[in-house]
Amino acid sequence: MNGDPASMLSNHAFVRGMSPGYVERLADAAVEIGVPAGYRFFEEGGPADRFWLVTAGHVALDLHTAQRASLIVETLGPGDVMGLSWLSPPREWQFGAEAVEPTTAFELDAAAVIALCDSRPEFGYQIVRRMAAVASRRLHATRIRVLDLYAAPGQRAGAP
Amino acid sequence: MSLQPVPVRYRVTSSQAETHDTVTLGLEPVDQPIAAHRPGQFTMLYALGIGEVPISISGGPAGPGLVQTIRSVGAVTKALCAAAPGQLIGVRGPYGTDWGVADGAGQHVIIVAGGIGLAPLRPALLAALAAPDRYRAITLLIGARSPDELVFSGELDSWRAAGADVQVTVDRATGGWTGHVGVVTQLLDRAELDPAATMALVCGPEVMMRLTARALCARGIPPGRIRVSLERNMRCGIAECGHCQLGPLLLCRDGPVISYQRAAPLLAVKEL
Repeated sequence: MNGDPASMLSNHAFVRGMSPGYVERLADAAVEIGVPAGYRFFEEGGPADRFWLVTAGHVALDLHTAQRASLIVETLGPGDVMGLSWLSPPREWQFGAEAVEPTTAFELDAAAVIALCDSRPEFGYQIVRRMAAVASRRLHATRIRVLDLYAAPGQRAGAP
Repeated sequence: MSLQPVPVRYRVTSSQAETHDTVTLGLEPVDQPIAAHRPGQFTMLYALGIGEVPISISGGPAGPGLVQTIRSVGAVTKALCAAAPGQLIGVRGPYGTDWGVADGAGQHVIIVAGGIGLAPLRPALLAALAAPDRYRAITLLIGARSPDELVFSGELDSWRAAGADVQVTVDRATGGWTGHVGVVTQLLDRAELDPAATMALVCGPEVMMRLTARALCARGIPPGRIRVSLERNMRCGIAECGHCQLGPLLLCRDGPVISYQRAAPLLAVKEL
């Protein structure tokens, strides 16, 4: 990792506002990575043993289906957390993930982070709160998409 | 009660299919043109012998011609979408309030469009891009149902070249789409902005505007610096008939563009 890992990590939206001591502990479990477009981070059904804090580029979460191209479920970009499945059993990826352009991220070792959370409940509470906020935003966004808002006529209401 | 103006004859000069149900018409006046319009205003378009509908102006203010983007959702709009070059239609207007793009001078102007909501925002974008140095930055965030329902998709690169940061996201990726997938508010979450020096213009389905305005407020932008374009049943266009009433507002006169500070309490009233 180039530069001070904790200070670099503290710039990420997920970590922003976390006390420096906690950021340092998180940095101990993190490594900065850079991958080319087309790199596959994980596959559906694989062990969810890591998660990523995306700093640049974009990643598509996808789902393979028979006899057709992969379905892109969502794309993630700078400031996003990639990977929620490590939080709870069965700790298997629900989707695949592929970089759609050169991407950099902090890769975190899920087992190390869980061990830190277990040994230091205050730190664990911080992590769980932040992951809950990420999951809440994703759920909210998904609900909006389910509403299919753009299917409604975009013209002035009442146009005959 | 004042008399409703008589429609002025315009001739269709071009017809550009934007999506499977949306067409952009180029119009030139046959006689005296309507008054000059400002970005965000609308006209009443009359399909001869069929009826009249309110349609946002999607072109810039230069020249006597009009550019209007119409989605086929009923008998009148279906007829307008089918209008071929040479055909006559009636035009009244322009009506309503405008985006007030110039108020964003020295600030970051963020334009958030949902679906065909890009049509009334396009004149505001063009006005900003005509003098990009006046603004700290110009960002256009577009959300659409799917890639083939993007309007003005052929212009995105030219807007980028003119200085706008243009980002597009779709609800459903189809046809080899490799761009963003997700709701437009997620693009907003990732945007770099200084809330104290940002003005936001938002247009799309009402729920989308409400959620986007909330997301903008959550980023620290004051509701008074967020403008939305509201839709109600505009009929007369001159604040006489009352069909477009929204609480204390007659949107054909007091809108369609109003600040979110004014809109928020009205949008919170069920079935208003």
